[in-house]
Amino acid sequence: MAESDTLGDLNRRNFLIKVTSVVGGAGAVAACLPFVASMNPSSDVLAKATTEFDLSGMNPGDMRTVAWQGKPVFILRRTQEQIKEMEASDGGLDPEPDQKRAKQPEWLVVVGVCTHMGCVPNKEGPGWTCHCHGSQYDDSGRVTRGPAPKNLEVPPYRFIAADKIIIGEA
Amino acid sequence: MKNRIIKWIDQRFPLTSFVKHELTGYPTPRNLSYWWNFGFLAGFVLMLQVATGIFLAMHYKADVALSFDSIQHIMRDVNYGWLLRFMHSTGASAFFLVIYIHMARTLYYGSYRAPRELMWWSGQGLLLLLMATAFMGYLLPWGQMSFWGATVITNLFRATPFIGEQVVIWLRGDYTVGDATLTRFFALHYLFPFLIIGAVVVHLVALHTVKSSNPSGIDLAAKDNIPFHPYFTIKDLYGLGIFLIVYCSFVFFLPNSLIEPANNIPANPMVTPNHIVPEWYFLPFYAILRSVPNMVGGVVAMGLSVMMFAFMPFLDRSCIPGGAQYRPVFRVQFYLFLLDMLVLGYIGYIPPTSQSILIGQVATLCYFGSFFLIPFISKAEERWLIKRGLPPDVEALIASEAREKSKLPQRRRREDIA
Amino acid sequence: MKKLIVVLILYCSTSPVWATDAKLENIQVDTSVSAVERGVDTLMNGCHSCHSLKYIKYRDLDTFGIDKKKIEAWRGDQPLDAPLASLMSDDAAMQSFGKIPPDLSLITKAREGGASYVYSYLLGYYNTPEGMTSNHIFPETKMPDALGISGATEPAQRDELQGKAHDIVSFLAWASDPHEEERHRLGYYVIGYLVVLTLLLYIVKNQIWSTLK
Repeated sequence: MAESDTLGDLNRRNFLIKVTSVVGGAGAVAACLPFVASMNPSSDVLAKATTEFDLSGMNPGDMRTVAWQGKPVFILRRTQEQIKEMEASDGGLDPEPDQKRAKQPEWLVVVGVCTHMGCVPNKEGPGWTCHCHGSQYDDSGRVTRGPAPKNLEVPPYRFIAADKIIIGEA
Repeated sequence: MKNRIIKWIDQRFPLTSFVKHELTGYPTPRNLSYWWNFGFLAGFVLMLQVATGIFLAMHYKADVALSFDSIQHIMRDVNYGWLLRFMHSTGASAFFLVIYIHMARTLYYGSYRAPRELMWWSGQGLLLLLMATAFMGYLLPWGQMSFWGATVITNLFRATPFIGEQVVIWLRGDYTVGDATLTRFFALHYLFPFLIIGAVVVHLVALHTVKSSNPSGIDLAAKDNIPFHPYFTIKDLYGLGIFLIVYCSFVFFLPNSLIEPANNIPANPMVTPNHIVPEWYFLPFYAILRSVPNMVGGVVAMGLSVMMFAFMPFLDRSCIPGGAQYRPVFRVQFYLFLLDMLVLGYIGYIPPTSQSILIGQVATLCYFGSFFLIPFISKAEERWLIKRGLPPDVEALIASEAREKSKLPQRRRREDIA
Repeated sequence: MKKLIVVLILYCSTSPVWATDAKLENIQVDTSVSAVERGVDTLMNGCHSCHSLKYIKYRDLDTFGIDKKKIEAWRGDQPLDAPLASLMSDDAAMQSFGKIPPDLSLITKAREGGASYVYSYLLGYYNTPEGMTSNHIFPETKMPDALGISGATEPAQRDELQGKAHDIVSFLAWASDPHEEERHRLGYYVIGYLVVLTLLLYIVKNQIWSTLK
């Protein structure tokens, strides 16, 4: 520092340096954002975040598996008996009324991934059985026998027509 | 608390002394002009290219069936993918611009002369690594220009005596530029920048041994050095600001101007574009290649044109210190050389006609002529300047240099700033 | 001063004027939604029968703001994520024209002269004395006179076709570079910020150096 510096000069210089550092720092942080953002799912991956499914062609009792975000989703068209049975109880290990799990009682949409370790259960007779460790689910996707702790996940979905649903959007 | 941690580290690692000696307290000539900003800028662009490159590599696919599509995926679907891509493509041009200015500064001010020869040669190595990296990177988009440019340049290795054909096939991994070539160029393009970083470290170690030159070309007394921080840290940052304005103007408003239209067409091995042209930074050397009617001769000329710079410390025989500052003939030579490079660049760009080929050949002769004539011109100029009389400090330095040479080879070390 | 010269040289050397011998009519594309939508309309009714746009998906048109009902009509059974494929198969194209009509996703970037080239090309058809149709801009073209400009003699007709061509090229320019507007917008902010920061750095630099004796 030169002797000709007054205290005012020094304060002004320090202030300027502080302001410049803050402005520069903010810019440096902002410059990092596109890099970080580029690692997020790209728009084509996000598009696959929803899957449309045409329900026509399914008879009562039929089950179809469709891919959504890389996972299997079970779509079950339930018969009247199945609906009555499911609405009669709240399920087994993870009680939940059937009405909460199906938007329209005839159609059940659940993610086909066992809540225990992630295997895909098989449809066998009523409900599903997971052959990895023996968990069982009913025709509402509720867990009736462990070691799975929770019911099959109901993904966000809605009816975009009488016979079409879009999975991934509530 | 912070001081305790630093003290703990200092007992185990020379952190504080390194930072003080080599960074903040590092003695730098006070009269450095803005032409000395370009080394820092080159380092910055290197970091920029590595960062954008790594994030691009998260989305790029190095397969002939997928690469062009993956670039479109990056441009259209990946969040800010277009920004990463344009930063990287503009960054390549920015890198060469900065490096060429950096080299021009070194030539003009004679910073390649003793004791800075190793700096110049490590720089030469860096230039070669950069050219190789850029060449391999250009294949990756798998556009028409990518493919045909790579085909033409890999073909040149046919000039290798006796084993030319095998060398070309070995280089490509196939009889033509194909999937094997693309995959290996991607692997090497990812690797080379880290070799460049290593070479930059060598370059900086050499710099810190001999310290920066300065516009006068005369080693300044210790009192005329100032600490790098804060004077040159702030000056470098200011220069960076100016650079970024120019760089971002291109990235955001003119990015397509630096991408050949033909490269927006997927590579087609059956159809050659009417006009094969490399990126601007290779144009002068491309012109020299085309100037020689013989294929082997052209390759040799092109290779030599890049390597000629390395001989400068030996070619320049003048005892007048520094570069163009006190040497008017050298200055004229320098400007003529720059003009020649621009002419060669233009010739390299336009489609060859008999006229342009002739101009190119004359320009090539001038190019090599400038180098070959330097020993004679520099000596003659020295004699003329000494007869005419030099500024007193220059005379003093020449005298002290002569004294030094008669002693044992023991370089004086400049005292450090406390 | 020298830096300015270097920058000027760089700017000048990037002008894409080297290419075609024929004079190009320079146009300004309009990438507003309305112009682009008119362009897609024309394209889907005409160009689409031979040309694909493989890098544009129906979803991209939706995201840009094209009328959803129109998109539904164009895509029919195909999912939203389907690309705009050509209606003509590659084999049929080879039989009819001898080559596959180029994909148009990048056409305004893939030609020297860009959008002006494509515009001039579309309107560059004329009738030769022998009664054949040829094109001023690209004489070797195998593409027929899609807009019918060679037969348009009335000024009103020509005007209408020029408008159509302008809309098509506006759409194609958007298709080549969908993020152009975003890029420009961000660019203004970035350059503005950098000017402010550089000014601050300049002031601080002078302040620090003024303390040197």
